[in-house]
Amino acid sequence: MQALLSFEQAPPLAAPLRFFLTAPLFAILAALLLLWTGPELFASRWTPAALALTHLITVGFMLQVMLGAMLQILPVVAGANLTRPLAVATLVHVAIALGALLLAAAFLSYQPLAFTLAAALVGSGVGLFVVAAGRSLFGVPSSDPTIRGLKTALVGLSVTVCLGMLLATALGGSITLPLLQLTAIHLGWGLIGWSSVLLAAVAYVVVPMFQMTPAYPEWFAGRFSWAVLTLLSAWSAADALAWTRSAIWLAAAAVLAVAVFAALTLQLQRRSRRARVDATQRYWSVAMLCTLAACTLWLAAGSLPGFAERREWPLVCGVLALFGGLMSVTIGMLYKIVPFLVWSHLQNLGGGRVIAPNMNKVIAAGRINGQMYAHFVALALLLGAALWPPWFARPAGLALLTANAWLLYNLLGAMSFYRRHRLAIEATMPNAASSR
Amino acid sequence: MTRPGADVVLDARDMEPPEPMVRTMEALDSLGPSETLLVLLPREPYPLYRALAVNGFAWQTERRPDGTVEVLIRHQAQ
Repeated sequence: MQALLSFEQAPPLAAPLRFFLTAPLFAILAALLLLWTGPELFASRWTPAALALTHLITVGFMLQVMLGAMLQILPVVAGANLTRPLAVATLVHVAIALGALLLAAAFLSYQPLAFTLAAALVGSGVGLFVVAAGRSLFGVPSSDPTIRGLKTALVGLSVTVCLGMLLATALGGSITLPLLQLTAIHLGWGLIGWSSVLLAAVAYVVVPMFQMTPAYPEWFAGRFSWAVLTLLSAWSAADALAWTRSAIWLAAAAVLAVAVFAALTLQLQRRSRRARVDATQRYWSVAMLCTLAACTLWLAAGSLPGFAERREWPLVCGVLALFGGLMSVTIGMLYKIVPFLVWSHLQNLGGGRVIAPNMNKVIAAGRINGQMYAHFVALALLLGAALWPPWFARPAGLALLTANAWLLYNLLGAMSFYRRHRLAIEATMPNAASSR
Repeated sequence: MTRPGADVVLDARDMEPPEPMVRTMEALDSLGPSETLLVLLPREPYPLYRALAVNGFAWQTERRPDGTVEVLIRHQAQ
């Protein structure tokens, strides 16, 4: 009899999965918004539709997947177990999903009440998550770069959401604030202090693990998260005090740090010992290339005269960072996390007497690759739409819809795979039904 | 290289998850009552520790200077 795996402390399958299954729905909503609004959405980064779309992707898609993945990753890589993970997941999920919907509605309608409610929901959802995850990490010594990175990322997330709540309150008309300046700081913390720091912390483990590469060098992994946190704090302070020159240099240094992470990852991937490149690896490569391109563009916009005034550059930069960088890497990771979860829960359910099927069979490679190419087409068309909206806006919307409906289909396929095998296990072992 | 006394050695440093876990569990199935299994891994295997505790195994972990994590496993004394 094969020994039993223990998941008694790991969250039940339903805890992370609710986040993963609702995320594509928000990307589908973003696609529908783009189809409905058309080229007008790309008139500037400040159009109500562009802001609504950005938050459907960042809060509705990315934040959900990242929090769901963190629920799963904390016990595995840090040995940090959340208390009552299912209850935390349920509350956080409902608050963030409703908050993301209301936030998009608020940008489209400019109803003060929608902004206030969205801020309260997203704020309380993230607040609860940060407290629960923070408590589980509190007793864990910061012995490696991943654990330090996870802790730092929670700080980055808190700052991002606090600034977001402040901005939403100001947009709701309750207070007057320097909106443009605060938006830049909110965006910096969201993209770098939260997303990039979390991504790097996870990358130190998953890139060598799944892509069979050498480890990230210590000079980088040991310093990245606190260096970025220090730079962002100093930049925010300099910006608030109107020390313009210092602020520009500090922001550039933070962007450069992210570019170094992307370049290092690409370099490590070239040394992969895997015989065949899989979809996750391709997703990571494209994500890192897009991140490098976004960083380069951002740095160029700051230093080349005339460039910063162009309408297109923030849009292209945004598409590269959000859809090319973060969304690509997030989907790539989902294709590792979801099959692993299904496999490990089946293995556990089988109690050692029924061996779980191969992890690679949970979602067929052909389906994953098809979805991946659909995502890449959507990315290319979105870049086209940022440059030439009348030509590409609606085709980009259609492609984004296709790619995310496909993603949802693949994830639902993994669920039906789980159900099928669970029933088979329960048929062979009648007492397995009561165990979970 | 390896600690003296290990009867079975499993080098899982170049395996893709979940293979290290599966192979360790397989090796434990055939581990004799007084035998030891040494698993070499690229990182600390938290999920493995829980599985070992549930299944009545004792383990010791050491970290080599090159970053390799050595887990020496044996049946728990009754």
